[in-house]
Amino acid sequence: MRNFTYYRPETVAQAVALLETKWGPTELLAGGTDLLDLQKEYVAQPERVVSLTGIRELSGIKVDASAITIGAGTKLAEIAEHPRLRDTVPALTTAAGEIGGPQIRNMGTLGGNLCQRNRCWYFRDEHVSCCLKGGNKCYALDGENQYHAIFTQGHKCVMVHPSTLAPALIALGATAQVQGPQGSRTIELAKFFQAPSSAGQREHVLAPNEVVLSVTIPLVGLQNASYEVRHKQSYDWPLVQAAVAFKLDAGRASDVRVVLGHVAPTPHIAAAAAKALEGKEVTEVTAAAAGKAATEGAKPLSQNGYKVKLVEVAVKRAILTAAHRKKYWEV
Amino acid sequence: MQNEAKKAAHPWPKQRRLIGTRVRRIDGPEKATGTAKYSYDYNRPGMLHAAILRCPHAHARLVKIDLSVAEKMPGVKATHLIANEGKELFYAGDEIVALAADTEEHLADALRAVKVQYEVLPFFVREKDALEHPEQKTVGGAGKSNVNRVAEATKGNVEAAYKTADAVIEGEYGAATVCHQCLESHGLVAEWDKDGNLTVWCSTQAVVGTAAALAQHFKLPPAKVKCITHYMGGGFGSKFGPDVQGIAAAELAKKAGAPVKLMLDRAEEITVAGNRPSAYGKVKIAGTKDGLITAYEVDCYGTPGIGNAATVNMGLLPYVYQDAIPNWKRNHAIVRLNAGAARAMRAPGHPQNCLLTECAIDDLAAKLGLDPMVVRLKNLPPNDPTAAKNDPTSFLAIRHSLYSKEIEIAAQLADWKKKWHPPGAEEGPIKRGIGMALHTWGGFASAQPNEVTIVISRDGSVLVESSTQDLGTGQRTVNALVAAEILGLEPGDITVRIGESQLGSSSGSGGSTTCPSQAPATLQAACNARDDLFAKIAPRLGAKPEDLAIEKASVVDKASGKKWSWKEACARLGMDQAKGTGVWNQKLSQQRENANISNGQVGGVQIAEVVVDTETGVVRCTEVVAVQDCGMIVDLLTCESQVAGGVIMGLNYALFEERIMDRHTGRQVNADMEFYKLGGIKDMPRIKVHMYDMPERGVIGIGEPPTISTAAAISNAIFNAIGVRVPFAPFTPDRVLAALAQKGGKA
Repeated sequence: MRNFTYYRPETVAQAVALLETKWGPTELLAGGTDLLDLQKEYVAQPERVVSLTGIRELSGIKVDASAITIGAGTKLAEIAEHPRLRDTVPALTTAAGEIGGPQIRNMGTLGGNLCQRNRCWYFRDEHVSCCLKGGNKCYALDGENQYHAIFTQGHKCVMVHPSTLAPALIALGATAQVQGPQGSRTIELAKFFQAPSSAGQREHVLAPNEVVLSVTIPLVGLQNASYEVRHKQSYDWPLVQAAVAFKLDAGRASDVRVVLGHVAPTPHIAAAAAKALEGKEVTEVTAAAAGKAATEGAKPLSQNGYKVKLVEVAVKRAILTAAHRKKYWEV
Repeated sequence: MQNEAKKAAHPWPKQRRLIGTRVRRIDGPEKATGTAKYSYDYNRPGMLHAAILRCPHAHARLVKIDLSVAEKMPGVKATHLIANEGKELFYAGDEIVALAADTEEHLADALRAVKVQYEVLPFFVREKDALEHPEQKTVGGAGKSNVNRVAEATKGNVEAAYKTADAVIEGEYGAATVCHQCLESHGLVAEWDKDGNLTVWCSTQAVVGTAAALAQHFKLPPAKVKCITHYMGGGFGSKFGPDVQGIAAAELAKKAGAPVKLMLDRAEEITVAGNRPSAYGKVKIAGTKDGLITAYEVDCYGTPGIGNAATVNMGLLPYVYQDAIPNWKRNHAIVRLNAGAARAMRAPGHPQNCLLTECAIDDLAAKLGLDPMVVRLKNLPPNDPTAAKNDPTSFLAIRHSLYSKEIEIAAQLADWKKKWHPPGAEEGPIKRGIGMALHTWGGFASAQPNEVTIVISRDGSVLVESSTQDLGTGQRTVNALVAAEILGLEPGDITVRIGESQLGSSSGSGGSTTCPSQAPATLQAACNARDDLFAKIAPRLGAKPEDLAIEKASVVDKASGKKWSWKEACARLGMDQAKGTGVWNQKLSQQRENANISNGQVGGVQIAEVVVDTETGVVRCTEVVAVQDCGMIVDLLTCESQVAGGVIMGLNYALFEERIMDRHTGRQVNADMEFYKLGGIKDMPRIKVHMYDMPERGVIGIGEPPTISTAAAISNAIFNAIGVRVPFAPFTPDRVLAALAQKGGKA
């Protein structure tokens, strides 16, 4: 790990003042579950590390009649265990509760989860210079890509975005409040992420001198759920994740949102799946049809064709879970 | 020692108070509270940290190396060149230079300041690529190809047998290369004293051998090198010597005049410190309609990386049933690759053999419409009456009866008759399946003598000493247990000092030889110490030594009926102490009169149950029944733990683990614990262990056998669930879905 200067400001304004206008020389530290690894592997080599752990205003969960606001510094474990959140936004709490293990969940934060770097094994290998590290190609395109993207839309880098909270938050219509040198702004979570293609870009649209303050989820009576297809049941990334949210009126779904995780360089909004379920009664048949529709536009790489099938299943099961239908897969 | 060999050995006591019962580890509290010190935990005064710069390319020539900048980096104290300019480097991980620095952070920066120029050379990191280009050679050693075909062997005539068989099937089976993944990585702390004595705290499964190898390297008399391994965090066959990194650490310590710690990091542990080599085979198997296997043919290959050994146990293919199958033929190709070398891994070759044999048997049974358990029972190797004449407790004499009984017990524990169904017979997307597999292993005493010394002091304390090591198997507890049994004490009353090379002779812990070497040696030592005690205290007790006997925590005079507490009796030693030495090895164990003290060769049966989600391809193993014999069970609890651990390792082999090599960069992409997958608590099945105790056989090793058949049993359970074979482990969701799709396509 390259030597660095450590800062621990007490206010967001102080933190923002410490940041620069380009990525790299300064990094933000929250739970440390990602940045420390990157530093030890010399993938991140910041000269300055600005810790957010001293900023009290970043932590905490507020619930009122119309919205939930979660501070960016809130631990994943607190989100997963919060009773009101479990009642109203199970898509989010389930996803939070399935991240890593207890150690990760008790260190990792909401903001960190949204702003973490991707897990591509080429990106994480110090000895491989991929396009996100100044090189000129994506090694996964023609390499070991079993865990990579199936929706690439011509992206130069085919990693998958690792956040499992993001699909849930997007499905729930959440917004993020961020603060930069010019003050704060609100970004829809659906527009928070981008597919990077060079070392000058991150997996999200924030400026290098912006800090996430909190995330707000409107409470509008959406049934919601997240389903992960996982190889390992303990401590693993999902192979595919689906988060869904919809209004359920007399068994019929409306205002349907379907968002996929771990299938694209950003959380992937499956509009065709939402359309397929809109206005329909939620049954295994309609859920399966939405699952099928969710694969529209998938272009798997050489080794990840299986993920197309997993998208179908994850969407179907997420829909059935959200509508409190029988979980036929649990025996 | 010569005399010892001629004297009849002390037998196991007929009445056993502790042996065969569940005795908790005497070092459990130390391990659980963290006071047990592993090599990694040693921090010596003034200690430096060391690490190795490794070749990042799969194949390259070291053109130029410049240490001038690195040497001037902050904190750097010494360098040790391992590869000279011009050297050919054969895999990403090959050692180049070792550095020592004052902190880990300075060290990491300094490693990156070494300037190396490489000439990158062609390489193969995947078996199929090397097989497609047998004309190319990218590894070292003799020969002109990476592919090295091992001469085939046959028995009978398979071709003729195919013609008369009721069913002949062909299938593909195998498993990927997996890494040892020792939780405590390889490495050591090295320290020289002012008199030129070297002490190392090394994570090794061969304390004496590691000291000897270091002595040889530094041209020192063995007495000047001491290796200490009080506790160690897993070896599984990969830790038999100091390795390149151990020697480098000692060299650096010498140069720097300071203690040096060099433990591999996780990526190094996975890429350079050993693996279980892959094995992939095409199998043809034939049988009659009543389930008799008439022919078995296997053509297989696997990679030992840059090593050059067969990746299956050739002599034991077909596995278990070899003596019962009249016609067989086998063929193996060693496919050398630019990847870390294979090392012995917990029952080397056997899990691969087991997959290549046991999976084919279930496929044949399915074709014949038979319960695969019935087919197994029909083809068990026969009891050998000639062997029975020599030693009725020998494996050859009993194997048919033993396997039959073990299958019966396992089937009962797993409820086989109720749960087994024709392959793929269940309705619905979530399918349950059950599968079985058999295994065998050696577990004799080591060829090298193992020496144990026991000292009884006048305060009644007992010290058991041996240079042997406890890999986590519970050897420390076993030695305490045996001494306590003979001396009428409790295991916790005994102090056991092991894991120091200067405490007599002992062998490396490989081949499941430690317990069958150490337990009998401890038995001899304890009996001899007891006899020495009696000889010394009898006159002071007014008794004859031959009338004295041990009872629980006391000594009795059988002639007078008088009784002294253990402490009272030991107090009669006065200024003296009682001492006994015991030595054991394979030669002693094979003397006919010693057959009941230790023995070798075991069977074992495992039954796995799985739930396969046919929509996602995700397999969950829900239960494993393991029935295992290992002769006389010393500590039932640590024995059961060995079996449970073996099952867990086998489950990971079946479902999760795989070394994934990238053909473009030549590097392992999952040299970590993130994408190199090991099951966690939610992935574990219920494990039902049944130890099949045969005290008449004496002690036999247990470390390796219980990991052998788990993967094959799981493969068979998946087949039973979905009615189609997933050929190659790990049985990941993509492979399961691919197999299901193929089945769908055929239908």
